[in-house]
Amino acid sequence: MASLPVMARRRSVAGAVLTVAVVAAGPALAACSSGGDDRLVVYSGRTSNLIDPLLNDFADQSGISITVRYGESADLALLIDEEGDRTPADVFISQSPGAVGYLDAAGRLAPLDDELIAVVPEGDAADNAGWVGLSGRVRTLVYNSELVDEADLPDSVLDLTAAEYAGQVALAPTNGSFQDFVTVLRDQLGDEEAAAWLDGMAAGDPPTFDNNTAIVEAVGRGEVPMGLVNHYYAFRAKAENPDLPVENHYFPDGDLGSTLLVTAASEIAETDMPDEASELIEFLLSPEAQRYFSEETFEYPLADGAEVNSVLPPFEEISKTRVDLEELGGGLEATTAMIDESGLT
Amino acid sequence: MASVSDRLAASGLPPPLWRRLQAAAIPGRSTGEAGSTDGGGLRQEPPPPTPPADRSFARWSFTGTAPRSLVAVCAVIGLLFAAPLLYLIWRNLTGDEDLVNLYLSEATLVPLRNTLALAMATALSTAIVGTGLAWLTTRSDLPLRRLWAALAPLPLVFPSFVGGLALLAAVAPGGLLDVPLGWVGAEATRPEGFWGAWLVLTLFTTPYVLLPVAARLVALPPSLEESARLLGRRPWGAFRTVVLPQISGAIAAGSLLVFLYTVSDFGVVVLLRYETLTRAIYTNRLLDRDQSAALSLLLAVVALAVVAGERTLARRRHRGTLEGVRTERPLRVPLGRWRLPALAAVIAWVGLALGGPLASLGLWAWRGLTGETSSLASGDRTLGDLVEPALNTAGIGLVTALVAIAVLLPLAYLSARHRARAADLANGLVATGFALPALVVALSLVFWSRQLPEAWGLYQSFAMLVFAYVVHLGAQSLRTAQVAVGSVPRRLDESARVLGAGRVRRFATVELPLMLPGLAAGAGLVLLSTMKELPITLLTRPLGFETLATGIWEDAEAVFLAEAGLASLVLVALSGVLTWLVVVRRTERLA
Repeated sequence: MASLPVMARRRSVAGAVLTVAVVAAGPALAACSSGGDDRLVVYSGRTSNLIDPLLNDFADQSGISITVRYGESADLALLIDEEGDRTPADVFISQSPGAVGYLDAAGRLAPLDDELIAVVPEGDAADNAGWVGLSGRVRTLVYNSELVDEADLPDSVLDLTAAEYAGQVALAPTNGSFQDFVTVLRDQLGDEEAAAWLDGMAAGDPPTFDNNTAIVEAVGRGEVPMGLVNHYYAFRAKAENPDLPVENHYFPDGDLGSTLLVTAASEIAETDMPDEASELIEFLLSPEAQRYFSEETFEYPLADGAEVNSVLPPFEEISKTRVDLEELGGGLEATTAMIDESGLT
Repeated sequence: MASVSDRLAASGLPPPLWRRLQAAAIPGRSTGEAGSTDGGGLRQEPPPPTPPADRSFARWSFTGTAPRSLVAVCAVIGLLFAAPLLYLIWRNLTGDEDLVNLYLSEATLVPLRNTLALAMATALSTAIVGTGLAWLTTRSDLPLRRLWAALAPLPLVFPSFVGGLALLAAVAPGGLLDVPLGWVGAEATRPEGFWGAWLVLTLFTTPYVLLPVAARLVALPPSLEESARLLGRRPWGAFRTVVLPQISGAIAAGSLLVFLYTVSDFGVVVLLRYETLTRAIYTNRLLDRDQSAALSLLLAVVALAVVAGERTLARRRHRGTLEGVRTERPLRVPLGRWRLPALAAVIAWVGLALGGPLASLGLWAWRGLTGETSSLASGDRTLGDLVEPALNTAGIGLVTALVAIAVLLPLAYLSARHRARAADLANGLVATGFALPALVVALSLVFWSRQLPEAWGLYQSFAMLVFAYVVHLGAQSLRTAQVAVGSVPRRLDESARVLGAGRVRRFATVELPLMLPGLAAGAGLVLLSTMKELPITLLTRPLGFETLATGIWEDAEAVFLAEAGLASLVLVALSGVLTWLVVVRRTERLA
């Protein structure tokens, strides 16, 4: 006769402790997340380690308490759209122009005050005042200083299709900033020339990666000699590991290769705290915040009069071309289709 | 004197196998002879009589027609799991995408073919490796068995967005593997495309097969294998004819999960640049929402089809399921001269799947702690900052695991005990929740919560977060729960009922302890996946609720690799401890 297993009468002490912890944690956590009504709700595609100190300063100075939902810019834009008129969001900070452009086109954003728009140069805010640029990252060619001599690098991004660079330049074709860059090419050079550049790059069978971090990581390891990324990543990678042999090569003289991509702030149309939302955006454009962008995160501050960090090339040398996606026929969709057709993806 | 059939009935072996043993032991017997007892013939035991139609709650334990109350409960549960699918149907009906043209175009067919190929290949490889690892850690005399049993499921805890990156950093050119490979004269190549994605996914998803198969092997009485060996089978033959049919249900359950997971995976295929349906859905999610919705619907249909196909095959599978009753000490098959190769293989596997990513993460964290410029070294961020996220992660993981088991147990009863067809539909709906990308599940719940009155306060609450997790991750515990429910011997339950125990008492004292290894394995899977889950957490968590995974993601995004590495190590350690407590300990003797 098969015997029954001995009943487990004693529970493990750890199990009991965990159960108690779980039961106690539930109400405690629920309590701390309540009361979002009187707090300014920010949906931020910019991660907390790059903006939290500023938001804390704002909360201290203005007395307005803030709560933030961090996430991917595109996913947050989708969330705001799906939430519709029930969205708790008041302010949306987007690291990618595509996400804020999508919400603008969907009519989810409230127009900002003229004074806020006037703080940044024309072209760094939406024409319909839907969003305003806070800071910018510039496109650059990151290279491994042990493998490549800077003197051998071209002065224009268009020269990268030359035979000597075939297969040497890492790209991230599905990454938002690469797509924005190609959209600028289309705007400034026309669709035909942009497609020709893409075909030229694809002909060299370049190593492709998912995002900028992966490219910089590979360049640092020496797997690829160089790659097209945003300038920010080399600074961060070297802060992580000072011995990493990566350097930025900025395309000089306003070449299209050094296009500026903007981090944008916007006010949600459904907000129930419009004054506080404006106050936050105003704070993010203030000299104090702009200095944070410049010195702490090595980005380009966009407000008039803000100083650019000395390690970066000055504004005059970089291309500040901003593209109005709605005017450019087909917008981002046509860009991604063009990238797909070239065979890079 | 007890008849032969009575003795066989009392031995604990299932009826289908009596005949085989009798044929070996009693020559010349005739079948089908009714009435005679000992020696000359064998009375074929009639199947236990179906109890009279009793629709009460007490009926929930018997086979036969499912009681109406159980079917009603399962219908409600199935409807809850159908939320993402209903949302997709609604979106496609109200969108203006030309579905037929889209589905027949190359933009759909190529990713679809790639998705299916990758999923089938991964399911096959994980079935083989997972079964092998499970057998080695539970049935053989491999050295340090318990250590491997605790370590082997751990690759499941790596969030795909960081695990893939860390593994690549270890094995790609210039990475950690470069030097050792250089000694052998080989070159490190970057895993890419189909083979790269297949390798990384196999490494990370083998635990889906390993855990249920190990749980089943532990619950399997060794008497049958011993009988087979006594009757002359070689070890491999005994395994093939005796053990394999018994664990095939668990293998199928695990492989199905691997298939569905691969279909829904986004992190690995994007990192390794392999064009699957999920990648197409994500790339277009903002640019062409209608196309994203259409492809997501296709994905859901694929999942339903695969689950339906698997259930059809399962019905045809031999159903001589052995009872899950622990008896004597477990069987240990001596490996002999295979001991060292087996040990080497296990070490290589665990080293690559667990050690590779851990090494990268450890290196990043170490650089951060000993370097001068990182925020870790400067003290801006400390280990203490991780305490609250760690507690949140563990808490929400445990709650979700318990809720998932509770919600899915009625479904498991319906399909394992009563074999109702309605259960198949519910199974398919649960599977679609797992196969769909997390983003789609999150958006669908946002959509449905908008249809509810705002006063209910459900939006962005913990209830909604746990519900979202259960819808997306619950499928992992359903199949193992079914296997567990199905392995409880009916006759024990009947004996308890005859002795007067009420329904609840029978459940608590007879069924639950026997199902516990299987339920724990399923709960463990849900726990691990919840702790590392990211997209749903980011979009639906209550404001201010931070988990380790969200912190890791933010740090990795902004290239704060040291902080990401440290938090990842904490996550792996926490998951390892909880897995060991909740799952691994329960698969051993309960005494």
